[in-house]
Amino acid sequence: MTRKYVVLAVILLAGAITPVSAQNTAADIQKAAEEKAVNLCSTCHGPRGISTSPEFPILAAQRKGYLEAQIDAFRKKARAEKDAHDFMWGIAGNLDEAIIGGIAAYYAAQPPAPGRTDDPKLVAKGKELFDKGLPERGIPACKACHGDDAKGTADFPRLAGQHAKYVAKQLNYIQSLVRAAPVMHGIIKDLTPPEMQAVAAYVQSK
Amino acid sequence: MLRHVTDVPVITFASAAMTLFLMFGLIDPAQAVPSYARQTGQECIACHVSFPELTPYGRYFKLTGYTIGKTSFSSEGMNYLPLAMMAQASVTNTRNNNTTDPNTGDTVSVNQRNNGIVFCCASIFLASKVNDYIGGFVQWTYNHLATTADGTLGGHSGIDNTDLRVAGKYSGAGAAEPDWVYGATVHNNPTVQDVWNSTPAFGFPYTTSPLASTPAAATLIDGGLAQQVAGLGAYVFWKKTLYGEVSFYKTADGAFSILRQGQDIHTDGGVAALKGYNPYWRFAYSQDWGANSIMVGTYGMVVDRYPSNLDTSTPTDRFRDIAIDAQYQYITDPHTFTAQLTYIDEKQSYDASFPVTLATGAGIGAGPAPANPTDKLHTFKAKATYYHDRKYGGTLAYFSTTGSADSGLYGTDPNGNAMKPDSSGYIIELDYLPIQNIRVMFQYIAYNKFNGASTNFDGNGRNARDNNTAFLNVWVAF
Repeated sequence: MTRKYVVLAVILLAGAITPVSAQNTAADIQKAAEEKAVNLCSTCHGPRGISTSPEFPILAAQRKGYLEAQIDAFRKKARAEKDAHDFMWGIAGNLDEAIIGGIAAYYAAQPPAPGRTDDPKLVAKGKELFDKGLPERGIPACKACHGDDAKGTADFPRLAGQHAKYVAKQLNYIQSLVRAAPVMHGIIKDLTPPEMQAVAAYVQSK
Repeated sequence: MLRHVTDVPVITFASAAMTLFLMFGLIDPAQAVPSYARQTGQECIACHVSFPELTPYGRYFKLTGYTIGKTSFSSEGMNYLPLAMMAQASVTNTRNNNTTDPNTGDTVSVNQRNNGIVFCCASIFLASKVNDYIGGFVQWTYNHLATTADGTLGGHSGIDNTDLRVAGKYSGAGAAEPDWVYGATVHNNPTVQDVWNSTPAFGFPYTTSPLASTPAAATLIDGGLAQQVAGLGAYVFWKKTLYGEVSFYKTADGAFSILRQGQDIHTDGGVAALKGYNPYWRFAYSQDWGANSIMVGTYGMVVDRYPSNLDTSTPTDRFRDIAIDAQYQYITDPHTFTAQLTYIDEKQSYDASFPVTLATGAGIGAGPAPANPTDKLHTFKAKATYYHDRKYGGTLAYFSTTGSADSGLYGTDPNGNAMKPDSSGYIIELDYLPIQNIRVMFQYIAYNKFNGASTNFDGNGRNARDNNTAFLNVWVAF
């Protein structure tokens, strides 16, 4: 008798859950992508892509093309820093191009995270570097590519509001060639750790 | 069990420790991938601070029915092997391993393999998602050091922790994250289904010596029903903030007998037998901010237990456990700090055993023979852990069990006074994880009190600190 009840309960529970329908239309794909963002990505990257933990990057308002390229790099294991390997290879490996595009569109459309300032002096130093670069050392201004107030441009990622810890970590990865980004590596190869901290603090403040 | 000291192996603690390090240094890390890591494609640290302690993402993975990632088999064939294995090898040193046999007056050893290498225990897991809504794990454990009927040590295998789930998610229109995560669970150990590591089943210490003496008294919810009962529960997690669960526990017989497979059900006292469906509750408030995560909660159960598992025609004793717990986690790269605590209040009402004991001088079958109609038992546990780079860890823990004096349950001291179940002490643990699947750990348990007293707790001159235990262990999961 008990066995019957158990079987019945499992059938009822399984039946109560509607299977995902075939994803044919663009609207269906976008819906499936947003379900993925809401039910899975949000666990680390926060609701609407605004994570609270500095270990996980903010995705809200990021450039769609940049997001697509990064998820694809995780999927193809081309981006290979430790965090990418430990967390993102597996997640991105289960996504196809259409869903990746939908996820990127979802986050690109979200309102940006507000800026946060922890150390005004450090932010001021970072602003100087971001806006003007260090011409005497051949380091160009960051805003030349990342735009005014670090809001990004068509081809370059938004940095405004990003966690300073995450930005500094990525700068370090790129400088040490752990993360492959040849153009960026050439630009920041001579940045010192304090300079990285300063520019990271500045972009977080915007 | 007690044996003569001449049986003690002669390998020294230091040489055994060195052998363990050398032996496990030869393991190929590339092959060390547990099945959930294979399922998700993620590393262990995504879900675990260090196994088995869960991160916020690990809790979500468990609550959503272990369904993130791929199924082991698909139309494309086998994606991964849904099996994992776990094994431990250790050396235990009991501070004073010699004691006097009260019957013969001979000097005997407390720990039969003191300072020797032992391999215990090994488990195999069937762990995987079944589909997008169903998943779980079944653990089967072989214990090389089980106590046999004649008191010696021998091999034994049986089911270990098991949790099978059906889970779903609901998000309202425009929701940014799931409004509701809900599910149902079938399992075999109260709190094994819980996702916070402040509750007993996955609470600290995560492993202890298989050989050392441990305090006799523990609340029923603290392992007293493990792998003996069937738990049927339903839960909801609202906006990743409020968790509520109601489960019911029954004797794992009939259709559920697989959940206690390997237990000695034919010996009086071999397993617990419960009357009907016994309620368990769990409510928790959880909040994540920045790199921080906090939980405060309560859990508990009311159990009607037959004193003898071989006689269910008798009345039952009632055990009412009410617990509070809390957890804090700060998880960053490279610093991770976590802390848990719990306090369990148990009221034992010997409605069946006390009247019989009063009348006959003995309990029902192998059941308890209490001197009081009701007793109390309280357990407090707290621990704090720091990990650097998820590789180098240290934990400091405190534990305490106190309760009513009861000569029937705990005996009498040399002055004839009823003894208490009190035990307390500290645990220091150092961990090194060269890779995420291997933990090399040194654990030291220091007792202030053991089974009711600091000194002469057994009436035979043995002190609590004599049971202090050093435990060097290598724990491998792959």
